[in-house]
This record gives sequence, C-alpha cells and structure tokens, in this order.
Amino acid sequence: MKARATGQALLLRGLVLTSPLVAIFCTSLAAGRTLPALDVAVAGLALACAALPDSHAGLVVVVLVGIGWWATVDDRLTPWSLAAALALAVFHASMAAASVAPLAAKWTPAMSRRWLRRTAVVGAATCVMWAVVALIGDHRFSGNSLLLAAALVGLAFAALWARTGSIGQRSGAH
Amino acid sequence: MSSTDTWRPTAAHARAVLGGTLLAVAAVLARRPDLLVFAAPFAVVAVWAVVAKPTVAPTVRQWLGHAVVREGEATTWHIGIDDVEGRVDDVAAVLEVPIWVEQRPEEGQVAISLHDDGEGPLAVVIRPIRWGRRRIGPALVAASSAWAGFRWTSVQLGDARLLTALPQSSKFDASAPPVRTPGLVGVNRSPRQGSGTEFASIRPFQPGDRLRRIHWPQSLRTGVLHVTSTWADHDRHVVLLIDALNDVGESGGIDGRASSLDISMRAAGAIAEHFISTGDRVALVAIGARGVQRLPPATGRRHLRRLLEVMATVESAGEFFDDGRMPRGIAQGALVVMLSAMVSPRALQRAVTIADRGLTIVVIDCLPPDITEKDPNDPYVALAWRIRLLERDSEIRRARERGTPVVPWMGPRSLDVVLRDLHRHAGVRTARRQ
Repeated sequence: MKARATGQALLLRGLVLTSPLVAIFCTSLAAGRTLPALDVAVAGLALACAALPDSHAGLVVVVLVGIGWWATVDDRLTPWSLAAALALAVFHASMAAASVAPLAAKWTPAMSRRWLRRTAVVGAATCVMWAVVALIGDHRFSGNSLLLAAALVGLAFAALWARTGSIGQRSGAH
Repeated sequence: MSSTDTWRPTAAHARAVLGGTLLAVAAVLARRPDLLVFAAPFAVVAVWAVVAKPTVAPTVRQWLGHAVVREGEATTWHIGIDDVEGRVDDVAAVLEVPIWVEQRPEEGQVAISLHDDGEGPLAVVIRPIRWGRRRIGPALVAASSAWAGFRWTSVQLGDARLLTALPQSSKFDASAPPVRTPGLVGVNRSPRQGSGTEFASIRPFQPGDRLRRIHWPQSLRTGVLHVTSTWADHDRHVVLLIDALNDVGESGGIDGRASSLDISMRAAGAIAEHFISTGDRVALVAIGARGVQRLPPATGRRHLRRLLEVMATVESAGEFFDDGRMPRGIAQGALVVMLSAMVSPRALQRAVTIADRGLTIVVIDCLPPDITEKDPNDPYVALAWRIRLLERDSEIRRARERGTPVVPWMGPRSLDVVLRDLHRHAGVRTARRQ
C-alpha cells in the first residue's frame, strides 16, 4: 500500500532538502567561492535525508557542511556563519520532526506549535553563541596548551555524559 | 495487554551528539570559534534530549469499539497510552487492516502530541465493507521523547481483535399468508381449529372439549351445551439452506458489486429477520462451507443474532464433494428456503430431492445478474457463462415442472407470489386429507 503524504510531511521533507543547500549558499557567500564536489555530495545526501529522515545520512551532511565552511571561509566573524548555523538547526529539527510520524499521519496543531517553539529556542541559543564568538573573536589568544587540554577534557566529559545518558543505562518496564 | 520494549536513541540523537561533538572538537583544534556557532544547535538539542529522556516505558492499551457490526457500519480502533513520567512528546500509530476493511485515516496512520492532545485523536475508524470475520490489529505504536531523541516502539502480539461483520440484510417484506406447517404455538393462525386464542366459532359440545370452553349464554338459550372454538396458533419452522459450494462473481463489498455468496447471505439475513420478527422458528444449514455450519431452529432476537454471526463465518470450502443429497438437519414439515447460485446442477437436484421428501421448498436464485459481462482479459469467459446459463435455464424449467419453485432474489416481496401459491396448494392438500 502506497501511503499518501500529508502537507506537513511534505513541508518537513522540503525543509530537509533545502536547508543544507541554504547552508552551502551561505558558505559560498561568506567565502566567495565554493567546492563543487562537496556541494553535489551535500545535495545528494540531502535528497537521501528527505527520503529517509530516520537515517544517519544527516550526520554526514552536517560534517560535510562543517568541512566546507572550514575549508573555504577565512572570516571567523562573518554573520553568514549564523545564517549557516541556523540553516543546519532547521535541517536537524525538520529531519527529527519528520521521523516522529509516518508519512500519511496528519500532524496536530499542538505538535506543530511545540516543534516550532523548541526550534525557536535552539535558534535563539545559536544567536547567543554567535554573539559570544563575535565578542571574543577580536581577541587573538596565543597558543596555550593548558587551555587546549582543558577544552578537550571538557568536551570529552560532555561527550561521555551524553553517551551515558543515551545508551549507558537500560531502561524500560517489563 | 501489550509487551514493551526499551527507549532507544534515534538517528536524530546520534546526529545531535556526534555532530555537535565533532564540530566543537574541530573548533578547538583548528582554533575556529565560528565552528562553535555550528556546533551550538546540536549541542543544545543533544543536552535537551538527554535531560528529558524517559526512563519508564509507557503502557499501551488497544481495543475495538464494537466487536460485532453490520457490514458497512463503522467502529473505532482505540489506542490508549499511559505515560507515568510525562516525558513522552509525540506518539504515532499505524494500523494495518485486512482486505474488506476500510479505515479512516485512509492509511491508518495517526500522530498526536500526547500531553497536549490527549489520547482522543489516537483512534482509527474502521469499516468492514463485506460480511465475514476479520482479524484487526494490533497497531504499531511509536512514542518519541523530546527532539525525537529517544524512541519506544510497541511489540504487541496479543492485541489483535476479531471483528465480526454481519451481513447487511437486504430489504424483505413478505405479506403472503403463511405456508401451512403442523407446528403449534406462534403468531400465525393455523388452518385447523384447536387450542389457541383467536375466536373461530361457537359449536355444540363434543367429548374431549374442555369445560372452560363452554359458552354458557348460548348453552342456556338453546338448552344444549355449546363451546367456543378457536383457531390453533402455530409457528413456522423455516430452514435457510445456503449453498456455499461456489462463490460466483466478483464482490465489491457493500458499496460495489455482489457475488453469489453476498446475495445469498444478505437475502438469508433478510428472510431470517422477517420470519423471526413474526415469531417463527428459523434454522440454518450451510452446504459446502468450511467446517460445520448448522444452527438448530429457534426464535427470538438473540437467535437472529446467532444466525447472522454463523452466516458471517461461512466460507466456501471449494473442494467439498457435492452429492446432491438431502442435507441433514431438516425436520419434516419445515419450509425450506434454499439460496443458491445453482451453478452446479446438483444444487437443483438437491432441491428436487427435498421436495420429493414432502417438504415445502422455495429456491432463491442468487446468481449475480452481471455474471455474463465481458471480461476484457478473457473474452471466452462471457461466452462460457452464456452457454452454462442456457443449460441452467433448462434445469430450472425442469425443476419447476416437478413442483419446485425457483425465484430470483429481487429484494422486497421476492417470495410473496411463491409463498401465496404454496399456501394455496397446502390448503388444497389439507382439504383433500380431510
């Protein structure tokens, strides 16, 4: 049986498809150039993500967009980084939202409101992060191995916490 | 009852955790704070999902609004979820239904925000479009936590329910007088006088008359004992004989074309409903059906329900050997209403055998009228049907000549003429015996 997609499902898949392309576009605007092979790969993977929102292809898209930015953009304080990050946030949120309900299931207004509200909160957090980066970005810190080690340890702890919280304990009532 | 599984991280959560971590590490190692802006949304989502992760699996209940409905009527498949922690965000369910069952939403897929919408919308309307017994459910239920970070999926093995779709009775209304049968007690007046309630006459006393029947005013006036005589009350014993050897024609459900078995069941339902509403006893015998399909005679609304439920389980056995003999379970004096497509000559042979045993039988022709329509894939099918129908007409004519009435099912008052004729013939036979 072929399921008939609802308007909400199509909209979410449209966002999944277009938001990485918007991020790539922002990258090209910030850098003034682009990496065609990477762009094609991102577009192809975005198509795969739209078809299969519950897949790991989205992670590859995020990594590729990050690599593209790192490889082409030299201006660390450009506002295009905020636009690209917001596009990635929309990409992640729409892909996650598309995976919670089957293609033909109609979304209730409450579901739509909650997802929009939370995406807005994440978008606001991203804006705050950009503002912080813009504030400290003018200061050139000299290489500091202690600071680097502290940052890496902090990240490792954060990753460990996330891992433990995600798969470290078995849950469920039987 | 539902068995439960654990909450499992999703691809979305893996993307948030790994994407955020990789971008943050790259930002630190490459001394690119702008990459932290990229990592920020993923980090926020990952932390949010882990903090709001449910630890207790929800309990799912699934139930069917009505286990027995008429074909074409709708009922609802309900899904209830108990979330003790209140951390379940979205719940989606998919219900797959068997053939001859429609559902709304069309694909049986529903989704809700559990705490905002409640459980109400998590229901699928199902509508059986053909009589029969169908297994429904269970629905696959998936619950998601915040940011779709974790998912719980139901693994339900014992939540399937049986939905019985009773045949939607065709309209039927017989105004013909009853065929005379020797049974007593019922709402129909017997052609014989006897113990009953309906006044017949006042006649002189005969030995054996009950004293309470003495009509004193007449007795005093004439000086001879007179008694009040009444017509005996009787009921009919009607046997519905369904020929389930073949199911000929294409069934399109209640809204589409009808196969021979569809016509038989709907007609049988209508006839049973009519006779039971007039207080008669109705029995059911299905020939050529899978398993034993026989129901002894009884009356009342509960018996009608049992009749319809047994009819709903009738399935053509296909390979059943048909010897055309008198089926068991038909008592003497019964009115046999045989519903058959008469595709095999043995069906009419059986009707003639029953008539030869002295029972009153009416054969209802349930062959779909559109059976000879041309099949675009095989033009010879229509031709073959036409040849067979010519032979069949000749067999029906011979059966009629031997006194077995055959009438096509045409809804209301289909049997009136036949029942009236049978009543008349029975009256002649009774008069001859007297």
